[in-house]
Amino acid sequence: MNSDILDRLKNTVLQFDIDSAEDVAKKAVESGVDPLRAASILTSAIRKIGDRFGAGELFLPDLVCAAAVLKKAFPVINSAIEKNGKETKSLGKVVIGTVSGDIHSIGKGMVATLLYAAGFEVIDLGINVKGEDFLSAVKKNNPDILAMSALLTTTAAEQRNVIEGLKKEGIRSNVKVIVGGSPINQEFADSIGADGYGATAPEGVKIAKELLGID
Amino acid sequence: MQKGFKRKFEPIKILSDSQIEQIHTASLQVLGEVGFKYDSNKSLKLLQSNGCIVDYETKIAKIPPDLIEESIRKTPSSFMVRSRDPEKSIRLGGNTLYFMNSAGARYCDVDTGIVTIPTLEQNNEGVIVSDALDTVHVFPSYTPYFEIENVPPVMSCPVSCAQRIRFSTKPSRGAQPTDTFIWETKMAQAVDSQLMGCVEGAAPLSLSEDACNAAFYYLNAAFPIYIASGSIMGGSHPITVAGASVSHNAELLAIVVLLQCIKPGCGIIANNFVSAMNMATGDLNFGTAAVALHQMAYNQIWHSLYKIPVNNTGSAFSNSKKVDYQTAAEKLPLVMCSALSGANLIVLHGGVTAELAYNPILAVIDDDVASTIGKILEGFNVNDEMIDIDTIKEVGSSGTFLSTKQTRTLWKAEDYMPKVFDKTPYREWLAGGKKTVIEKAKERMADILANHKPRPLTDEQDKEIDRILKEAEKYYEKKGLM
Repeated sequence: MNSDILDRLKNTVLQFDIDSAEDVAKKAVESGVDPLRAASILTSAIRKIGDRFGAGELFLPDLVCAAAVLKKAFPVINSAIEKNGKETKSLGKVVIGTVSGDIHSIGKGMVATLLYAAGFEVIDLGINVKGEDFLSAVKKNNPDILAMSALLTTTAAEQRNVIEGLKKEGIRSNVKVIVGGSPINQEFADSIGADGYGATAPEGVKIAKELLGID
Repeated sequence: MQKGFKRKFEPIKILSDSQIEQIHTASLQVLGEVGFKYDSNKSLKLLQSNGCIVDYETKIAKIPPDLIEESIRKTPSSFMVRSRDPEKSIRLGGNTLYFMNSAGARYCDVDTGIVTIPTLEQNNEGVIVSDALDTVHVFPSYTPYFEIENVPPVMSCPVSCAQRIRFSTKPSRGAQPTDTFIWETKMAQAVDSQLMGCVEGAAPLSLSEDACNAAFYYLNAAFPIYIASGSIMGGSHPITVAGASVSHNAELLAIVVLLQCIKPGCGIIANNFVSAMNMATGDLNFGTAAVALHQMAYNQIWHSLYKIPVNNTGSAFSNSKKVDYQTAAEKLPLVMCSALSGANLIVLHGGVTAELAYNPILAVIDDDVASTIGKILEGFNVNDEMIDIDTIKEVGSSGTFLSTKQTRTLWKAEDYMPKVFDKTPYREWLAGGKKTVIEKAKERMADILANHKPRPLTDEQDKEIDRILKEAEKYYEKKGLM
């Protein structure tokens, strides 16, 4: 019985079944399966999706929809884990947003999704995020990584301003900063004092893992 | 005034009347039920006073259908953009096709495909080359390069505009980010010309504060406006052509409504820059069938139903990293579909590497492409002189038309001989060093740079441009942006 419901849970991810995800997760918890085992099943399934994406067998809509399944199922499973007095594990905490003056969201959203799918806790501040809001979010959430996106040449400089703000507040060493977006390159990232740069969304995840020493 | 190319036949139609009606009605439904986000209280207040239901917290205005249709009616079917040289002014709309220069963030080496930040000199050369090309009628903002070496990012738009004004007499589009419209408007006015103001939405269904501010500023200067809502099918727009047509239509109509509320009767050209998402990488796919169909449907709706001039940007770029066969194969079908379906303005010359790069040598090659397409649009005449039945009788079944007066006098009338495409006989090509079209374009570019002298500004105008740039620098320094 338990293995049936766990198979169903796994299949919600593998079959991109967003509509059933929450319901199947609830049924899994109600059936008495170990929620840690359920979380592990979900993580393993999204990794399979990620591997198939990396191999060119699946595409972005598949990846994003599989991540959306997790977003529906995980809160139910996590709540059950916490009820059992245990803690959920994540690879690390990331605060992410598109910088002030820039309202482009697709690239940022893709990185946020892939980070989430990889197992990070993601706090998405959205688009057109003012420098002071990035700083407040870093102080409040104490993330491992701050990720900033800019699509316009004219707004890329805002990434530098946020990094300078972190220095002024004396919290620069508390957080790794990664940057991305069309006008950004490694040279620019180095010049503004970022810790990492990803040219693509999957590369952003790779850099985040490297910076935190995760294999 | 620059003449452009006059389309002599009806544009191709790919939608039935009922399909057009369905897309239009769905667009009205989106704006009435979902609404549109204007990130500007000044804009929201104006829209509210014109009958929109406004939520100041979400900044969303729900727009009633009658206001949208009234705004469409107020928009003229054609308008002038006045250049500093009256002979270079343009009238956008009707059955006229003009071409707009393309652009790229950086300079693409035509031999290696390596992309580098251009120097100011390379930027100026790009402007001079396009000024010399007959089929570049107008420049967009930050052209030809988005970035220029040693120019701070926030000054890239004003500096780019200044160099276009200095090295070309052709009209330009202004830009909208970070208050650049203030300096660009002042510079255009300093040389007694107009810009096409730029008001660009951010899909889905929103307009930034910068864009709203630009709308008020440019219209206050009595400039016509170029509107756009660049988006990606499958990302910021639905993946289907029909769904993306509705989203895109709704976005542009929302901008038309704002502009007509600010200044009733203002001239507007509506751009289509929808691209398809590469589902493996998330990047933009250029030159695809879906983009061509989207633009053709759009041209038909705006040309035949709204009667508002239209621009197409789908042929501005290629995903190819070099000027090569792929570049031509991706750009040509798009530009042809745009021209045949009623576009008034097409962005074409020089863009490569998916918006990342530009090279004036490609602009020179694209000049031949645009001239050929223009000739096709101008069609041919059917009358006694052009048929000339007497000459056909005279040649009969054994003569040649080469020696007739008709051939001698009319051989150029309905055709265009490219300037850089290789048309030499094979043996001559071997003897001439086997030159490629790129090598011939390099030669033409060198010739242009040696001999083409754009009409200079007066000393007084030049000093005023410098003064405005310094004013802009101080402004941005004060804001901490430099």
